[in-house]
Amino acid sequence: MSKISAMMDTGKRSLMNSQTALQTVGHNIANKSTEGFSRQRVELLSNVPIGEGGLQIGMGARAGVVTRVNNPWLEKQIQKEGMTMGFEDSRADGLSRVEQIYNEQNNKGLNQYVTDFFNGFRELSNNPESLASRTMVRETAVGMVKDFGRVTSQLRGVQEDLDAQIKTTIGEVNEITKEIASLNEKIQTVEVSKVPANDERDRRDLLLKKLGDKIDITWAEGKDGMVSVTAGRTAILVSGTGASELKARQTDTRDRMEIFYQGTGTPANVTEQISGGRIGGALDVRDHVIEDLLGHIDNLAYTLATEVNKAHIEGFDRNGKTGVLFFEQPESVKGAAANISMNKTIFNDVSRIAAGSRADAPGDNTVANVISSLQYKQVMDGGTATMDDYYNTQVGQVGAMVQRAVKSQESQKNVINQLTNIRESISGVSLDEETTKMIEFQKTYDASARLIKTADEMFDTVLNLKRL
Amino acid sequence: MRIADKMAFNQVNQNVGKNRSDMSDLQNQAATQKRINKPSDDPLSAARVLAARTEEHGNSQFIKNINNAKSFLEFSDQSLGELSDALVRAKELAISQSNDASGNAETRMVTASEIGQIYNQAVQIGNRKLGERYVFAGYKTQSAPFDHAGNYFGDDGDMKIQTNKDSFVAMNISGNKVFTGRGLDGDGVVRPRYETPTTVQEVQEFKQEEIDRLQKNEDVERNFLMTRGPAGEFEGNGKHKQDPVTGARGVNIFSVLKGLETSLKANDKVGVQETMDLLDQAISQVVLARSEVGSRVMSVNNTMDSLQKAIVDNKTTASQLEDADAFQVISDINKTDSTLKATLETSGKLIQPSLLDFLR
Repeated sequence: MSKISAMMDTGKRSLMNSQTALQTVGHNIANKSTEGFSRQRVELLSNVPIGEGGLQIGMGARAGVVTRVNNPWLEKQIQKEGMTMGFEDSRADGLSRVEQIYNEQNNKGLNQYVTDFFNGFRELSNNPESLASRTMVRETAVGMVKDFGRVTSQLRGVQEDLDAQIKTTIGEVNEITKEIASLNEKIQTVEVSKVPANDERDRRDLLLKKLGDKIDITWAEGKDGMVSVTAGRTAILVSGTGASELKARQTDTRDRMEIFYQGTGTPANVTEQISGGRIGGALDVRDHVIEDLLGHIDNLAYTLATEVNKAHIEGFDRNGKTGVLFFEQPESVKGAAANISMNKTIFNDVSRIAAGSRADAPGDNTVANVISSLQYKQVMDGGTATMDDYYNTQVGQVGAMVQRAVKSQESQKNVINQLTNIRESISGVSLDEETTKMIEFQKTYDASARLIKTADEMFDTVLNLKRL
Repeated sequence: MRIADKMAFNQVNQNVGKNRSDMSDLQNQAATQKRINKPSDDPLSAARVLAARTEEHGNSQFIKNINNAKSFLEFSDQSLGELSDALVRAKELAISQSNDASGNAETRMVTASEIGQIYNQAVQIGNRKLGERYVFAGYKTQSAPFDHAGNYFGDDGDMKIQTNKDSFVAMNISGNKVFTGRGLDGDGVVRPRYETPTTVQEVQEFKQEEIDRLQKNEDVERNFLMTRGPAGEFEGNGKHKQDPVTGARGVNIFSVLKGLETSLKANDKVGVQETMDLLDQAISQVVLARSEVGSRVMSVNNTMDSLQKAIVDNKTTASQLEDADAFQVISDINKTDSTLKATLETSGKLIQPSLLDFLR
């Protein structure tokens, strides 16, 4: 009798095991497209056999544990590469926008405005007496001044956009760290009873990847199953079940977003520490690339204004008066491109443009020739480059930078794709596989039911022994 | 390797995405006919294209400058031509009145009035204007350089026009050189330096030089004595006569004509004969000026040729750097198109079958 009931028991457990397994298959199928999901597997164990005389009788199987198929080292690698990916992505985006400012392939840019300006003086030299050619000098100067303004304001515009991006991203970082902290708690609660918190761990792995995409983090899992996350070198974002926030705001000293770590004490400026993820990329473009370019464009504007002024003041205007400054002399190199402007006196009265080297010589074009010759003089970089060379080199460098950024973005994308493929080949759900398993467990279920039925019939046989 | 469904989908996505982006790049190239649409497409070439453009704009401006200078020079040349014709006519008249066979007091009187007309014509030529500018006034282009007495009010400025990156050509010839023969050589008059200042330092030096020069010339002018003939003694080997006092070769055309007129009126045969030599000198002075103008025209013409060549070369360079090879682009488009189609076709097959399709 005990054997028949044991048989029934075994069948029943097997039925339940199949259900559990099928449930897991269902869970896998349902999460086929869930980001960061790792397929799960029910570990079936054979039950402890019962010794009966000289025999060991198997007691069927039981569901041990539901594990996820996952390689934590790979996950960590993906997370790390994802950080680089985020950096490269945001850097390439920012740089491509910077590139547009310097793109003169299809429309007029600073290079041409500068050439026009000098051609204006060449035209003036052809006909220094004429008001028309003087007006042309003014118009070309205004055009060039405007374009210096355009380049700086567009560069600053990109910086402001990057500021906004940084601010938004910091907000997202704070949301993610909060969720990681709460997942820490859940995982700990679940795993206290030695049951793996598969879905929560998947979710937490995913969030760590997402966080790394945004900002450079280091993280480690403690013995209690909780991860602690540090951004940069010192900003501890998640510790146990608690999360600390980052804040982006302007300081009194600088009109750019700086990142502050809101720990327990006073907020600490951690901007300098952030060198990875999307924020790191944005900071790099904002604080290094664009600042450099602004410096160069300022340098160009300053040199141009100063050199033209130096020559212009040597001359005499149409009425024989000594020359005034052509441009308002910029006070410093910094900000020169944004502030360069024509001297109001000249702007209002083009006859004040000084073309000649002598008073009372309306046909004298000596100074106009000196100014137009400036275009071919090596006045930049300590007398090694002309203004054209200097600017064109900038354009070339921006182009090269963008090209390099886009290339490393692409190759990083390949790295990520490859790693993701490896991850999918381990943890990804295959419908074919799940279907096969489904059939397998369905058959097991059928067979177990058949076993119970057989046991039931055996009971019947035993119970009906007398009537037979 | 275990293939999960997501891998297949990712793969399809990546491959189709790559093909589409290649196609979009090529389409862009086909639409713009340019290989470089932004600096990052080819940074080195993009910078070189910019440099070529600057050069091209500069060159077109130089061509404009040259055209302007040429019309100025040609107008000067034409005026000088008329002047030399007038002087030749004066010479003819002088010859005819230089002996008693063909001239007498009466004819000399008549001829004197014609010489008077020639004198007026010479003054008019000296005050010729092109547009709003007096061509023989040096830098003082806004006021007439000569009064009727033949006094010069212009200066000796050379209007230098940039004809190439580092070359300048004067587009005018100042009236005191042509008409009054000042500063040709040997008369102590200092002319401005020929090189055009192109830097601030040079212009400062130039300005100082000009001050010194004008000072010196004023002294020379103050001590200048107009001497005229008889200079036959100095005519050695067919060379032009020189001023016996200063050794200068220049003559004042107005004074010569005036002198001829006076001699004719006074029936001074010897005076007329003496003037003939001076007229020769005046003619060769004008011819000298014309040849100077002519050589400037020639020089700008040469520059013009090389500029036009440079413009073509520049365009070629820019085109080689930035233009798309149409044939290459089209053939690449075809290639990418067939790749895209193949990708889509195989992708369909990759995604389609699943075990589920066979479990009915």
